[in-house]
Amino acid sequence: MANMAAPAAEPAGSAPTRALPRTPWRPLAVLFIGLALLALAGYTSLMFGAVRLSPGEVWSGLTSPDDVFARNVVWQIRYPRLLDAMIVGAGLAAAGALLQGVTRNPLADPTILGVTAACGLASASLIVYDPQSPQWAIAAACVLGGLLGAAILYVIAWRGAVSPLRLTLAGVALSAFFGAAIVGLLASSRTFLQTSLGFLAGGLYGSDWRDLWAALPWFTLGILGAIALAGRLNILALGDDVAAGLGLLTDRTRLLVLATVGILTAAAVSVAGLVSFVGLVCPHIARYTIGHDNRLVIPFSALYGAILVVLADLGARLIIRPAELPMGIITAAIGAPFLLYLVRFR
Amino acid sequence: MNLAVDHLTLAHGGRDVVRDVSFEIAAGEMVAILGPNGSGKSTLLRGMARLHPPRSGRVLLDGRDIRTMNSRHVARIMAILPQAPASGLDLTVRELAFRGRYPHQGLLQRVTRRDIDAVEWALEATDALALAERPLSHLSGGERQRAWIAMALAQEPRILLLDEPTTFLDVAHQVEVMHLLRRLNARGITIVAVLHDLALAGRFTTRIIAIRDGRVAFDGPPAAVLDPQALERVFGVPMLVLPDPDTGLPIPIPRPDPALCPAATPAPAPAPRGAG
Repeated sequence: MANMAAPAAEPAGSAPTRALPRTPWRPLAVLFIGLALLALAGYTSLMFGAVRLSPGEVWSGLTSPDDVFARNVVWQIRYPRLLDAMIVGAGLAAAGALLQGVTRNPLADPTILGVTAACGLASASLIVYDPQSPQWAIAAACVLGGLLGAAILYVIAWRGAVSPLRLTLAGVALSAFFGAAIVGLLASSRTFLQTSLGFLAGGLYGSDWRDLWAALPWFTLGILGAIALAGRLNILALGDDVAAGLGLLTDRTRLLVLATVGILTAAAVSVAGLVSFVGLVCPHIARYTIGHDNRLVIPFSALYGAILVVLADLGARLIIRPAELPMGIITAAIGAPFLLYLVRFR
Repeated sequence: MNLAVDHLTLAHGGRDVVRDVSFEIAAGEMVAILGPNGSGKSTLLRGMARLHPPRSGRVLLDGRDIRTMNSRHVARIMAILPQAPASGLDLTVRELAFRGRYPHQGLLQRVTRRDIDAVEWALEATDALALAERPLSHLSGGERQRAWIAMALAQEPRILLLDEPTTFLDVAHQVEVMHLLRRLNARGITIVAVLHDLALAGRFTTRIIAIRDGRVAFDGPPAAVLDPQALERVFGVPMLVLPDPDTGLPIPIPRPDPALCPAATPAPAPAPRGAG
């Protein structure tokens, strides 16, 4: 750069040195509020269920091994279920944020684009083939299904020109196809109709530590991948030519993003089945609260997803007490009107 | 930094649109690429910027094939501004310029003092400091073009490629963008621009490469290429070239059939002054 009036050559002399970008107070404040909400929702969800515990009982259940009853209820049942809810929500929401970023389409979501159903089909196939499959195998099957679904989406949507419409239609078709295959598979295996309702509608009934440990490595991998890819998504948003001109390998970036979407969605589906709309709604709330920088949108979407699913699961346990609703019904009840709102007003 | 196109052939939809083109551009040149629609001039520029993979041939930066170089390394030397970049971005001008720092940044994109200085310089060079905090969506066409040029400059390139940077702008903004490119060229940045406007090319560049049917038809200084015969060969329409009364530089305009000019008087038209 010798022949250029390089900016670094003359570090501001008389003019006051320009400060580094201002400390992002707003994201920090929103982060604090979000974490507080998550803690509050989480603690509340530990109090409710088949038996109601006081906040103090929850605390001793979490901390003291002596209170055997509270210990069993909180530590063995509700606490793992709470953590499950968090990774389901965070995973789906981060996957939605990645998809909306990479497709530049505000309606993109792992459910709408068929990735959730692809994970579900793989997991249902394994369970029907061997009902005794361990949870880690189910999670691995989900990942395989998610990666395949993402690959199909990539091939269909990025052959030639990228079109949001084509992507959405392809997703709807994939989603319907995989969904039908799942129902067909479960229906033909008679014994499963009872429990498969929870899987199809999406829910955390009976989720425990085993689900968490099986999904956690994939979830962690996916979240780290999502955070690492966020900056590149910002560049991709400038358009393919500009991004490639800046030295971004656009096709490789898209493949990595879609693979990450497959892994995050798989982690969620292996725990909770087919939960819809979390990935659609949360990125919008994130952009509304902290702007369009994907380096913030992705982690904040994950945070909001965790809050949403913890609250939805709490609602699922409370609304028709002592029975339980599948949690996916509640996210759908929130998400579907939101989708209609987006279609109508945005 | 020397940019060379070496027997480059580029295909589009199974058809060769750039055929065996070779030329060299030396550091500090200001080059216009001209040609009719569909002549392959934009594809050629995209090929030079590694946005279009060659069917055969190479593009060389100081003798190194850009396809063998790390793409971000190329981006630190050469910036490209495509025609009509993405619209609907929710960014301020400064945020856009910061994205131009991508090829200089690490995985976590931590902002360094050098990034800030480069962005500041790019905004200053494009006269966009006053616009820095304005969202792109609130800018006029000319202002938005300056913002995108600022993004390209934040890359600290030594070569700047632009695809029709003046096309959607009114006359005042066209001149403004060309003045800006001249100032950047005076600072030592090599400029290569695909242009539609022959008069702008004639006045503001030092060299014109005219493309017809995917091949270089003419390559030389404006006075040589902007010649009635040469232009008619390239564009397939009779051309008139008038000298600019201020600078003597050629101003080419198409020469229509007078019978189709409703305001023309039937009286003998004043004889056109010869070029030069």
